[in-house]
Amino acid sequence: MTSWHVDEMALRRWIGRSDSLADSASVEQHLLWCDQCRERVNAAVTGRPAPGVVDLGDMWSQIRDAVELPRSSVFERLLQRAGLPAHDAKLVAVASAFRGKWLAGVTGVLTFVALAAALGDSRGVWLFLAVAPLVPCIAVAFSYDPKVDPALEPELVTPYPALRLVLLRTVAILGMALPAVALFGLFVPGRAPYTWLLPAVGCVAAVLALSTWTSSLRAAVAVSAVWLVVVWSLVAQAGSPDVVLHARFQIGYLVLAVTSTVIFLVRGRHVREFRPRRR
Amino acid sequence: MTPSISLRGVGRRFGAAWALADVNLDLAPGVTGLLGPNGAGKTTLLRLLATALSPTRGQVCVLGLDPAVPAERTGIRRRLGYLPQEIGFPRGFSAFAFVDYIAVLKEWTQPAVRHAEVRRVLDLVDLGGISTKRIRAMSGGQRRRLALAQALLGSPPVLILDEPTAGVDPEQRAALRNVLAELARTSIVVLSTHQTEDVAALCERVIVLDCGRVRYNGQVTELVGRAAGRVWLADAPDVAASASWRTGTGRYRNVAEHARAGVEHVEPSLEDAYLLLRGGTRPDSGDVREVLS
Repeated sequence: MTSWHVDEMALRRWIGRSDSLADSASVEQHLLWCDQCRERVNAAVTGRPAPGVVDLGDMWSQIRDAVELPRSSVFERLLQRAGLPAHDAKLVAVASAFRGKWLAGVTGVLTFVALAAALGDSRGVWLFLAVAPLVPCIAVAFSYDPKVDPALEPELVTPYPALRLVLLRTVAILGMALPAVALFGLFVPGRAPYTWLLPAVGCVAAVLALSTWTSSLRAAVAVSAVWLVVVWSLVAQAGSPDVVLHARFQIGYLVLAVTSTVIFLVRGRHVREFRPRRR
Repeated sequence: MTPSISLRGVGRRFGAAWALADVNLDLAPGVTGLLGPNGAGKTTLLRLLATALSPTRGQVCVLGLDPAVPAERTGIRRRLGYLPQEIGFPRGFSAFAFVDYIAVLKEWTQPAVRHAEVRRVLDLVDLGGISTKRIRAMSGGQRRRLALAQALLGSPPVLILDEPTAGVDPEQRAALRNVLAELARTSIVVLSTHQTEDVAALCERVIVLDCGRVRYNGQVTELVGRAAGRVWLADAPDVAASASWRTGTGRYRNVAEHARAGVEHVEPSLEDAYLLLRGGTRPDSGDVREVLS
């Protein structure tokens, strides 16, 4: 019994009959009594790895995976745990709106306006009402605008459905932004936190619908402007911010959300270009 | 059937300006170069071929599929590699992470197979050794090669490249030419560039665009041949020349519309022929080849 075995090159030359007569005879003598090397010959000829023999190619791939594969972000892992397939979770997590700086900015703004509202100043409540529904819609716009998502052009010409990508990111953003808006809404005295949700969903849906005509950032600016004018005019008429969250207006936000979503789904199937940048 | 791309009467308008007008082309496997001055419509044409834009008028057909039909457009995108002129990268990504991300969008859902393909294309552009490097720490040339790597995923039958060698050093350019030449055995490769030497080294065919119109569409050798007898060296710039510049030897290279006798003629290059084509006619006149012949 010996620990010596035919080396890989010699074995391949023997299989390929490209070795000398003396080398060939030597390998054959060894193969007569060495089960392990016979298994290696079998593996080399059939392409199946021999039992007990280390597959160096596979091992190298595993090493490279350990070194090269980027570590999934916390958010990506959360999405996977929520049941999203790994590749979809990766696509959603890439959106700019999930970057730390952006989230910190959103949290800062909401903290500021919630504090202003909590202090009892009517202008603070007005401010929270104006800002809260716009946070998710601006986040959605930021998640797929070419100015913010610099890789959008190569993304756009892949077979992955753009509509699905936008919807996945929107749902993920709503999943993060709406609870945040509701949470900060708790600090606003006298109003249930869920009353902020429908205006927010309505604004997001309107941005999506408008983005089938123009860039998502422009859509977000337009929706924000309209929302601020509506809030301002309603408050100016009634003298109190409460009217904006009244039940009849909540139905209006729901209608806006449903209508805009339908428009987006119908038109979004045919959209294939974002507005080109002027050179 | 040979895979092909055809454009019939294609035009694209941005506002009131036509970036591309009445373009008729047929492209087959091989490398086709796209030359033209800034604003000639090269990028618009490439974006049309890459299904990133739709034509204002006319018909585009890629591998027998119509990009105006959503299902067929997806079919084209499955067979397409596209390198845009300007490409940004998501912040904080490594080279591997970026190509892996695009591979996911290109429907490579099996991680092991996808990672192997990502490594293959990174090796092709000689970035395999620095695949974990952050993109923001990469040089301009490395970023350009990374952008090219994502286009090469899956060895697509149609490869649309907008200035693939911009900012890439000469050694890497030569290596990239080999990669593209190999791919062009079976694929349709269309590349736009300002580097006439890239076209001369790589392309069998060249299309010259000017003001959104096709000024020349044919063999590179034929275009170069049209400049024979019209390029010469002299000790001073020649007033008869339509273009003249000082070379590294201190002598002047002159290019003129009409053949000159009694001068020291030299072998024309594609750049000479391109300059002749551009200078040999007004931008709004007819077929330049008639002027040159």
